[in-house]
Amino acid sequence: MKYIEPASLPEALEILSADDEARCLAGGATLVAMLNADLVEPSTLIGLRRIDELAGISVSGDHIRIGATTTHAQIAGDDRLTGNAAVVRDAARQIAHSAIRNMGTIGGAVCHADPNADFPGALVAANAVLEAAGQSGRRQIPADEFFLDYLETSLEEDEILSAVMVPVEPVGARGRHLKFSRTHGDYATISISLVLAINSGACSHARVAVGSAGPAPVHLAEVDALLTGSDLSGETIKQAGQKLMEAADPVDDVRGSAEYRRMIIPGLLQRAVDELR
Amino acid sequence: MSTNMAENQQINPIIGASVPRIEGPEKATGRAVYTDDITRPGMLHAALLGSHYPHARILSIDTSRAKALPGVKAVLTGADLPLNYIGMFIKDQLPLARDKVCYSGEPVAAVAAVDLATARQALRLIEMEYEELEPVTDVEEALEPDAPVIHEKRDEYPTMYELPEEPNAICFTEFMEGDPNTAWDKCDAIVEDEYLVPAQYHMYMEPSSTVAEVDGSGKVTLWSSTQGVARSQMYTALALGLPMSKVRVIAPRIGGGFGGKCEFTNQPITALLAQATGRPVKLTFSREDDMTMMKRRHGGKIYMKTGAKKDGTLVARDCRIILDGGAYADESPEVSPVAAFFSQGPYRIPNMRVEAWSVYTNLSRASAFRGFGNPQATFASESQLDDLADQLGMDPLELRLNNALEQDDKFFCGKTIEKATMRACLEKVRDASGWAAKRSGGRPAAPGKKRGIGMAGMSHISGLAGAGANVLLNEDGSVTLNCGAVDIGQGSDTIFTQIVAGALALDMDQVNFAAPDTDSSPYQFQTSASRNTYTIGRAVKKASDDVRDQIYRHAGEILECDTNDLELRQGGVVGVKGVPDAALPFIAIAGRALWQEGGPIMGTHNWLYTPQDRMDPKRMLLRGFALMPDGIGIFTFGAQVAEVEVDEVTGQVEVLEYWAAHDVGKAINKTSVEGQIEGGIVQMLGYALTEEMLWDNGRMINPTMMDYKIPGMADAPYKIHSLLIEEAEESAPFGAKGVGEICAVGPAPAIANAIKNAVGARVAQIPATPERVLTAMQSADDAD
Repeated sequence: MKYIEPASLPEALEILSADDEARCLAGGATLVAMLNADLVEPSTLIGLRRIDELAGISVSGDHIRIGATTTHAQIAGDDRLTGNAAVVRDAARQIAHSAIRNMGTIGGAVCHADPNADFPGALVAANAVLEAAGQSGRRQIPADEFFLDYLETSLEEDEILSAVMVPVEPVGARGRHLKFSRTHGDYATISISLVLAINSGACSHARVAVGSAGPAPVHLAEVDALLTGSDLSGETIKQAGQKLMEAADPVDDVRGSAEYRRMIIPGLLQRAVDELR
Repeated sequence: MSTNMAENQQINPIIGASVPRIEGPEKATGRAVYTDDITRPGMLHAALLGSHYPHARILSIDTSRAKALPGVKAVLTGADLPLNYIGMFIKDQLPLARDKVCYSGEPVAAVAAVDLATARQALRLIEMEYEELEPVTDVEEALEPDAPVIHEKRDEYPTMYELPEEPNAICFTEFMEGDPNTAWDKCDAIVEDEYLVPAQYHMYMEPSSTVAEVDGSGKVTLWSSTQGVARSQMYTALALGLPMSKVRVIAPRIGGGFGGKCEFTNQPITALLAQATGRPVKLTFSREDDMTMMKRRHGGKIYMKTGAKKDGTLVARDCRIILDGGAYADESPEVSPVAAFFSQGPYRIPNMRVEAWSVYTNLSRASAFRGFGNPQATFASESQLDDLADQLGMDPLELRLNNALEQDDKFFCGKTIEKATMRACLEKVRDASGWAAKRSGGRPAAPGKKRGIGMAGMSHISGLAGAGANVLLNEDGSVTLNCGAVDIGQGSDTIFTQIVAGALALDMDQVNFAAPDTDSSPYQFQTSASRNTYTIGRAVKKASDDVRDQIYRHAGEILECDTNDLELRQGGVVGVKGVPDAALPFIAIAGRALWQEGGPIMGTHNWLYTPQDRMDPKRMLLRGFALMPDGIGIFTFGAQVAEVEVDEVTGQVEVLEYWAAHDVGKAINKTSVEGQIEGGIVQMLGYALTEEMLWDNGRMINPTMMDYKIPGMADAPYKIHSLLIEEAEESAPFGAKGVGEICAVGPAPAIANAIKNAVGARVAQIPATPERVLTAMQSADDAD
């Protein structure tokens, strides 16, 4: 296995497109574990850490740009991530343990597309857009269309995720990633990512995604619509929770049965709303 | 001699002091040397191939491709090894499976190669052909007449006890006192239930690891992560067909054991690979290998029925315990009798019958694990007492106080209680926790949560087996202690150093603790049975007293005084009482002994823990028990209280605060005792709430730290109050008893009882996962 550390994104893309078996390495929180477990055997590892444009967080106009190699700890510690983006920061704060948050990156986590991870749901709730760089240019993929299936994204094999763009709008929104797990630091048994804006008692914006509830975050436009414009009464939230529960398709595993996971979604949604209200 | 005088002296203040761990700095700075840190010239690296199937006949093994891989030096299978069965009470196991496999993960082949990657690659080139057999994974199904037989040759194995008829039974024990058949008529309230307990993995930080080397004479030396060098020596010699004089075992620093590194782990196979290759071999398991190949706590089922009078007096109990021993017996023939013995708990129950089974299943083998059968039995009995209290409308703590064993009572099976401190433990934990106010609904819970408080009482032992110690006076007046005891992380090196320092009025750095090594250490059973401080400590204390007496003899001759007039002064000085100027440093005594008169000064003590009395066959029915629990140790008592919050949406339980009152006799090192108690509670928080090895049709589905969750720092209660009761035990060094296991006996029932107090639902299966708690809450709601 070869290890290459290109200095620029175009150079990295060139190596990636020349070799089907090459894999990009950012923090290694997931890929190194998979290498150790003999689950992947790449021919080449392309280290991304020297590529400056992939690193760090910047605010520009209507969005916050989070470079793909930004660590979870950097995201968790950045107080510019407020409003709509707070849901992403709240998710970063709860990923695994501090040692992993210091190593792992948002790009690595997002491209791994583990539906039990924290970022996928949070990015969907934040209506984030993922920027994919290819040799022919860059394209923007809404989070909803990025996470396709278990460990599967809409990123092409010769593309590198360059950044996650989180909209600043709506102003005055609040975000919460409510994570329920067996122990602190475990993957979620169920997570609720929620962004709400409330103006004089009524909900003016709502976007909710459920993690660990299927092969990709569960997000229903009709649920967002049901909540938006409502007074977020218990009855409304129960209806919303019911719809999410019906749409959820979780697995039975060591973290809980599918039936149990479905069952607790409405109650956790209510809790997330209460915490934001 | 002067022994009595000296023992009447005030105890040296080092005894009871929270002295820092002697090995603390090297561990904190990463300089501690564990087995895997050891490298020998020309050393090879080994890996084992585990069986894919839980129950299968091995039809063929083709190792030719593995052997042909460059860098591979040896590939062994069961057929290559001598047919030397090993085991503690029944010799039913070989280092590598031969003819058939009995659990998924059972080692079937071993490779030694120039590096670990090559060894692991070679494993993938071994071709196995199996004939699958139906696996037995349920303890009750294992006992059914038509169950597949796991050990067809069971009755041919060398066995130290009487085997039951049922072919999958490892052992059967029955104890009976009073007249449990008619006593039920006298009961006003009866509770009956079925309890399920999980297989818990030891999760020591350091996976099993051994380095083996054979010298020119054929003598095998092992460095190994073990709980007892003499045990590893014995099993390795047996497996290799060598006399023990040809096997040497050294224990470097050990990263935890909890019972999992008792008896043997991977020492025999590593030694066999070293023999086969003629080169040093290291075998360190990955976490997954350790979880699938090594040992665990016995899971199982417990049926229990308890009856009491209106006033809360316990009258009768019937109990049936079926423990899952896994594929090989290991310590099972002791574990289920101990579970039976402690099923009465620290209470008077005049009419009692208990039967306990260990059975073979096609799951990994169960072994010793902190508490040794007691946590399983106590989960059932302490859960049941709370349900009984609820039925009687009594406070559960009062119910326990009413029935607590007192000094004149006998323990179950007629055993004498050395110090009856159960009442003191209950009262202490009641007062410290603010029990009455909290139990009556004291503090409000966080939104969406319900708060509750629960408790458990428990008893255990401290003792067991033979111990020796040598204390050598060095030429400069410092001393070296050699007792062969392995500190598995619990702190016994420091405790023994304190005992020597305390007995001889030395400073800590004047005492050298010699690392355990079978070539030089006196016999030491192993680190188990809460025995180090009590059993080994006693040998250490008496060996130190022996040195003191020899020093006094010399000093009396030099100072021309009666030895009764002598005293020890801090820092290695002997002097005449009341005469400050009449003093001799130990260096002077050592010099005289070495060069002038008497010869080297070395104190020695060897003893075997022997119970005051045996189980009383006139008092009760005894059937089918092995060595234990007839003579396992002196009794210890404790009581614990847990305060929890239960999430109404998810059923998740958070333990907020914990109180643990323990009779420790005397704390040699207060911080260390508190550390033991806190560690036991947090470990068993996992047993109570999250830890459970899971198998799907015999194949383990969670053999990783990602899927099998132990509690971390953030999951521990914000405060654990360790409440020490110090009533000196006469037979103990400075009065000290072991607390390593008893602290782990109470948490599961205390937490389950707190859950019931919070939400009104009994969780009779642990771990009390959120899903199980929520289900219990829903059934309780449905019942209302």
